[in-house]
Amino acid sequence: MIQRLRDQLLIPALAVVMGLFVGAIVMIVTSPLIDGQFQLDLPLKAYGALIDGSVGSFNAIIQTLVEATPLVLAGLAVGLGFKAGLFNIGAQGQFLLGALGAALVGGWLAGASPWVAIPLALLAGVIAGAIYGFIPGALKAFTGAHEVVTTIMLNYIALYILAYLITGPLRDPFATFARTVDVGNAALPLLPETRNGHIGILLAAAAVPIVWWLLFRSTLGFQIRAVGANPDAARYAGMRPRALIILTMSVSGLLAGLAGAIQILGLTKHMPIGYASSIGFDAIAVALLGRSHPLGVLLAALLFGAMRAGSGLMQVRAGIPVQMIDVLQGVILFFLAADVILRWVFRVRARGTGIGQESTVTRSYGGQTSI
Amino acid sequence: MRRTRVTALAAVVAATSIVAAGAVSAQSPGEGWKVGLVTDVGTLDDRNFNQYSWEGAEQGAQAIGGTATAIVTQGSADYNKNIQTFIDQGTQVIVTVGFALGADTVAAAKANPDVFFIGVDQGVCIDENGDNDGTFTCAGDPAVLLPNYQGVIFAEAQPGYLAGIVAANVSKSQHIAVIGGAAFIPAVKNYAEGYAAGARSVNPDIKVEIQYVSDDLNKAFNDPAGGKAFAEQLLSLHPDIDVLFQAAGKTGNGVLQAACEAKAANPDVWGIGVDVDQFLSTPENAACILTSAEKKLSNAVSAAVQAAADGTSVGGNSLYSAANEGIGLSPYHDHEAAVSADVQAAVDAAFQAMAAGTLDPLGATAP
Repeated sequence: MIQRLRDQLLIPALAVVMGLFVGAIVMIVTSPLIDGQFQLDLPLKAYGALIDGSVGSFNAIIQTLVEATPLVLAGLAVGLGFKAGLFNIGAQGQFLLGALGAALVGGWLAGASPWVAIPLALLAGVIAGAIYGFIPGALKAFTGAHEVVTTIMLNYIALYILAYLITGPLRDPFATFARTVDVGNAALPLLPETRNGHIGILLAAAAVPIVWWLLFRSTLGFQIRAVGANPDAARYAGMRPRALIILTMSVSGLLAGLAGAIQILGLTKHMPIGYASSIGFDAIAVALLGRSHPLGVLLAALLFGAMRAGSGLMQVRAGIPVQMIDVLQGVILFFLAADVILRWVFRVRARGTGIGQESTVTRSYGGQTSI
Repeated sequence: MRRTRVTALAAVVAATSIVAAGAVSAQSPGEGWKVGLVTDVGTLDDRNFNQYSWEGAEQGAQAIGGTATAIVTQGSADYNKNIQTFIDQGTQVIVTVGFALGADTVAAAKANPDVFFIGVDQGVCIDENGDNDGTFTCAGDPAVLLPNYQGVIFAEAQPGYLAGIVAANVSKSQHIAVIGGAAFIPAVKNYAEGYAAGARSVNPDIKVEIQYVSDDLNKAFNDPAGGKAFAEQLLSLHPDIDVLFQAAGKTGNGVLQAACEAKAANPDVWGIGVDVDQFLSTPENAACILTSAEKKLSNAVSAAVQAAADGTSVGGNSLYSAANEGIGLSPYHDHEAAVSADVQAAVDAAFQAMAAGTLDPLGATAP
């Protein structure tokens, strides 16, 4: 057990270490010389600020949790897809639709009692996300259309649905900039003594064990993993890959939609035009770093959330542009994908390749038609 | 236990900052102050709003003997977080760039009365409770409710008027145009109408086309390709138009590009830039940018930072206009030959008259 855990954690942890190392080099070589010298202490300053800004105080920790919340949920969404052999690139679209659903219903119920408004607004986001996950699931199950292609296209459709609705029917007539009306009483309440620590944090925290239970303790989860590992064998064993694919994509969309709903109801309180967010795409990185395991996703989301929470202080104290966070994220992903390099650098021998390791990502196009 | 430790830490931090504040007030005001700037979504070197506001913050900080740092916003959900980061760092002056940050800036100013806030392009509008007023009734008095929040706004009609004078003088066909982003943004409308008024002050019979791209902000201000198509359509409809003034942000860069392409066929065609000196900021179109109707962002931000430090800042809006050198026309650079000394004299005279308050660019043409 310990051995397996170590194996699971080792490569992601080494990828993070390498990411920070490469990030340090990038910082040093891209910063201006002082007296003709590289600023060798810059990475220490930057990472110090990053740590201080993410876990250095009560408020910083809350901020990390706030930033991690949508990443946990959307990361679980993508991870769940991976487990079933589905590459859900559409988490972004499902996230946006979930956000829109929550903004819409939240806006309608802005004057209602919070006990009614909050659950219904969240539910609207969840349903919108689930429907938006159902579509590519059904397309794949019945026509064999690859979910990578359909979800990418659906992301664009979501973007333009949003642009239309927010500049058109859903536009707040009193706002100069196109946006939906304020969600009022549907806004998520704050945890005591926090500045913006909304209860969405608790929902994300609850989702981790629920998804874990679903995947590893329920029959359904076993079937999902079986379909992911080998749909032909799963069908041979009497499972129904089609239904499972649709279900998995819907649940995946549900989680991403919940992430979007929480962002709107917990943070912005309305949906502006050009709602800039890359949560759905960052979630792919989170799922990969977390190896699609709910606990891994949680850890990865906390790491990325901490980087975002600390990035402001990093800019202030060390003058490092916020884009450094994207560099770190990218390098970490690179080393995860090219783990051969990691194994070579750190002299880690590949262990358990073959039968023992469950390494489902997706099947190629060729395999899709057989479902 | 953890709670106690946090509280104790907070007490220490508070005590230190009180000591620090005491030390500061003994020296010149603003000495050692921290100036923080939160940008809108984009980059710090956008050769536009973010960049020139940042240069102003740096200049202002230098003038008062303080230091400036910036946080670049990555998404509209992060405005509040980025402002809060500066507050937590004990920053004395926080500059937020752009209309979109207005609501979060008001909320932060209300919650932190000891911190000065400067909102670039944010017309302060609050209700009786000191909260941001999205309905623009503006019942609250900012000087009383939020004396620590200074909105920096510009009299856009004035540089528009100056651009109109130049346009009317260089136009061979006496048919010119202005393409604005969205009509419902007051700044854009002021630019456009000031431009028309300035042109008519030269020739009352000049034809001025005033066109707005869209009510969709993305198309209006963020879509160069759309702006180019819009300008090309206008030019095909009125082929004799030979001066195009843009008041449409990045969309307007497409307008300037269209002007440049039209210039290949007709060397009399000119484009006029907006907000910043676009000859420098968009060098790809420099060949046809005669001048730009400028808001002196860096001057304004620098002045606002200094006003906060020396205690002359009183809250509400400070208007930057000809009177305080807050607006102007950009230099003609390579195209100086196209503008005669007489024209420049007319521009200078109008500028002086606006500075003295004897010329109201919009009042002049009121029907």
